[in-house]
Amino acid sequence: MEITLKNLTKIFQEKDKGEITAVNNLNITIPSGKLVGLLGPSGCGKSTTLYLIAGLLNPNKGRIFFGDEDVTDMPPEERGIGLVFQNYALYPHMTVRQNIMFPLENIKVEKQEALKRSQEMADLVGIGELMDRKPKQLSGGQQQRVAIARALVKKPRVLLLDEPLSNLDARLRLATREEIKRIQRETGITTLFVTHDQEEAMSISDQIVLLNFGIKQQEGEPQDVYDQPDNLFSAKFLGTPPINIFEGEIKNKKLIFNDMELTTKDSPDKNVLIGIRPEGFIIDKKSAFSLSVYMVETIGRDTTLIIKNPLDEEETFRAIVDASHRIKPGDTIKFKIKPEKLFVFDPETGELL
Amino acid sequence: MDNLNVDRSKRKVLIQKGLIYLFLVIFALFIIIPFYWMILTSLKDIDRIQTEIPPSLIIGFKDMLFSNYIMALNAAPYLRYMLNTVIVAGISTVGTIITTVLASFAFARLNFRGRDLIFMLLISTMMIPGEMFVITNYITVSDLGWYSPLGQTQTQALLALTFPFMTSVFYVFFLRQAFKTIPDELYLAAKVDGTSDFKYLWKIMVPIAMPTIITITILNAMGTWSAYIWPNLVTAEEEFRLVTNGLRNAYVDFSGMVAYNEQMAAAMIVTLPLLIVFLLLKKYIMRGVSRSGIKG
Amino acid sequence: MLEKKSNIKAWFYLLPAMALLSVFTFYPLFNAFYLAILRDFSFLNRTASGFTLFGNFIEVIKDRNFAIAMKNTSIIVFVSVPISVLVALFISVGLNSIKKLQGIFQTIFFLPYVTNAIAIGMAFAFIFHSDYGLFNTFLGWFGIDPVNWIGMGASWSTAMFALLIFTVWGGLAFKIMVFLSGLQSIDKQYYDAARVDATPRSRVFRRITVPLLSPMIAYITITSFIGAFKAYRTIIGMFGPTLRPPGTLSKDSLITIVGLVYQSLRNADTIGEISRAASASIILFAITLIFTLIQMWVSKKRVHY
Repeated sequence: MEITLKNLTKIFQEKDKGEITAVNNLNITIPSGKLVGLLGPSGCGKSTTLYLIAGLLNPNKGRIFFGDEDVTDMPPEERGIGLVFQNYALYPHMTVRQNIMFPLENIKVEKQEALKRSQEMADLVGIGELMDRKPKQLSGGQQQRVAIARALVKKPRVLLLDEPLSNLDARLRLATREEIKRIQRETGITTLFVTHDQEEAMSISDQIVLLNFGIKQQEGEPQDVYDQPDNLFSAKFLGTPPINIFEGEIKNKKLIFNDMELTTKDSPDKNVLIGIRPEGFIIDKKSAFSLSVYMVETIGRDTTLIIKNPLDEEETFRAIVDASHRIKPGDTIKFKIKPEKLFVFDPETGELL
Repeated sequence: MDNLNVDRSKRKVLIQKGLIYLFLVIFALFIIIPFYWMILTSLKDIDRIQTEIPPSLIIGFKDMLFSNYIMALNAAPYLRYMLNTVIVAGISTVGTIITTVLASFAFARLNFRGRDLIFMLLISTMMIPGEMFVITNYITVSDLGWYSPLGQTQTQALLALTFPFMTSVFYVFFLRQAFKTIPDELYLAAKVDGTSDFKYLWKIMVPIAMPTIITITILNAMGTWSAYIWPNLVTAEEEFRLVTNGLRNAYVDFSGMVAYNEQMAAAMIVTLPLLIVFLLLKKYIMRGVSRSGIKG
Repeated sequence: MLEKKSNIKAWFYLLPAMALLSVFTFYPLFNAFYLAILRDFSFLNRTASGFTLFGNFIEVIKDRNFAIAMKNTSIIVFVSVPISVLVALFISVGLNSIKKLQGIFQTIFFLPYVTNAIAIGMAFAFIFHSDYGLFNTFLGWFGIDPVNWIGMGASWSTAMFALLIFTVWGGLAFKIMVFLSGLQSIDKQYYDAARVDATPRSRVFRRITVPLLSPMIAYITITSFIGAFKAYRTIIGMFGPTLRPPGTLSKDSLITIVGLVYQSLRNADTIGEISRAASASIILFAITLIFTLIQMWVSKKRVHY
């Protein structure tokens, strides 16, 4: 089921803050059968978008389509969606089985059929043996699976997940994210999930949509968005450690930082913001671009150099280099920059130049 | 030298502990004595009470006169009072639970114009002394024909005793708090599955808030058991009164002397069920207490 | 869906409670003021000869019983409450510091909370019986002659003493419960820190416990004042509907302000009595209002450490 959002806008009336535009003229297409991550910092409107698609909120403007069907004015229960909440929202007084069966009760599925379907769902998510437990007796990861089973049991057209991993500890998060990917693939259901964790979004999504201040920033396959950020926000939001951003200028078709030439750039002269991914630094004795190392973090596989910005002592860069280089704090190193890891942005608009 | 110091501070701690226990024991006795005195007296022979000065503080099992309880029950229509009390408590509790659950749901979950204002107004009535309401309610109950000093029927008496107590601002406040702790997501999840508001209230909120509802039930039933002033005002016939009213009956023996043993037996009959309920359902009652500061 | 105001639905849920409250709470509230300004209101005929703004209030206040009731109520409030707050505080701190038997002590101290004031009042009355009572027996062990506390022709002061003992007894449980839950919520680290510094118990109590508990102490004290202003059932329990020891004059009565209300209400058929009951209840309301405002002011100011 393809989901299309057209000019979707949601404005909240806050008592003391006036109007807040949580979602601003959003146009997104979520392809059928894909797992799509809606990514952005907190307060960017991603959860609001999810609730709009679920029908728990009504948009001020714009339409929502499931396939060709306009569902904008449809109540949530008629849209055929499964929704998994961040805190799972399991009914604490019901057993796992009762929780999973609850949605079927409302659509008047016969008892035997309901029991069968909930057992199937529980087996699919791997909690088939826990059916008589209460939510309190389950671990966070198990509760998460119950919530997914409950969302899927009525065979929804679309599965929506709100920050599905944020309540889990780090180790469980890795396992659960594979699990979500597996369940999505096995059921082939169009799935949209919301997260603020870029690593999480990139690792399991077929596609990601980047959102900031309710405005879509970029949309595409994770690697493409990482490799080709449209703007400063996209570049900064993806990647750990984050991209290094510093001020520079274009002069005579050359990109200059602190009087050193980084590369050539065919643009009119102006001040710019330069972004270099940490893995974009290559040690090259012939290069004119030299920096002094402030600290060295060794993790074995590679080495992270922490470098103070010569123009602003408060700022540091991170460069990830091969561990075979033995570098000590205080060393001055000459770098070459990989051209595909270097981005130049307009300081005013943040757009890629 | 060191050892001596340790010994000394150990002894000091021990003495302090001992003093704390002594203090607690003294006040525990202060609390228990009225109950003990009540039980003791209720089992004594009236002659013994009147001749033994100073009174004995213990009583042997073979001297216990359990017949005092039978006499007490006969001195007033006690079984009738108990039946009345159970009926009144049952009706008013069921009524209170229904009205309270519905109103608390509206205040905790629904979004409607003036909700916060109305809730504030309700809360502020909690600080108003009940006597201000009693006067008009007395007139209202008379106007409705439920009470007249000249006489009333059983139904009229029941209406007068229960109807004004079919809801309570305090319980609405208390239950709303419990409802509020249920995460919004549960409601949204139920909405996505097409659950109606009423079904959500009945199937999700009420079961989750059951401990609070049990607390309300207990407090309300105990309140009826101890009701004295209102039943006294609005019952025209002896036989429609409640247990506590029966306590102020004149317990006199044939010579016109007060039969203290029967009096205390009657007091025990009223007190014992409360103590049993308290000991069995302590945790539910305590939950209510921490919120009931306003009730004093 | 969710943001939509569901006015009609909400009122459907509110209707039962609001209908009952309107008849038995809101209307009586306004009607009390209305009744209080009626002149010569007759309960039998539901007629009045007109209005009088303060007439009924003046009658209530000029009545000899009013001064007596004010005196009694004030003594109950300002003697029993501070004593019971202080005793409850000590008991809770003691309870909180022990491990063995804590549960049993706790249960015992909470017992009075659920009991029936009328029944226990009768037990107290018999404890203070001059001949057969426990209290005089107790005094006898110390060679003190029996005192006629509340018996035939007993004096006001001995009767008040007995009533105060009963009032303190009845007021402890709730306060202990609140204090104890407050104490249990105090971070144990404060006490550990104090122990490391070898702080004596008495100083821990004065410098740590009391200041940290001060918001609760203020709250309990003021709400207990309000509660004690409504004293009535305890007096009925101990002295019966006459509200005084047998064979005494009405000047020695232990009547309270609430007592005045019910005394008038019981004579409802007498012309003007209902209005006087309403006036007395409004006076009580005014007093509790003052204390409520103090309460709000204090809690806003937050009693601080």
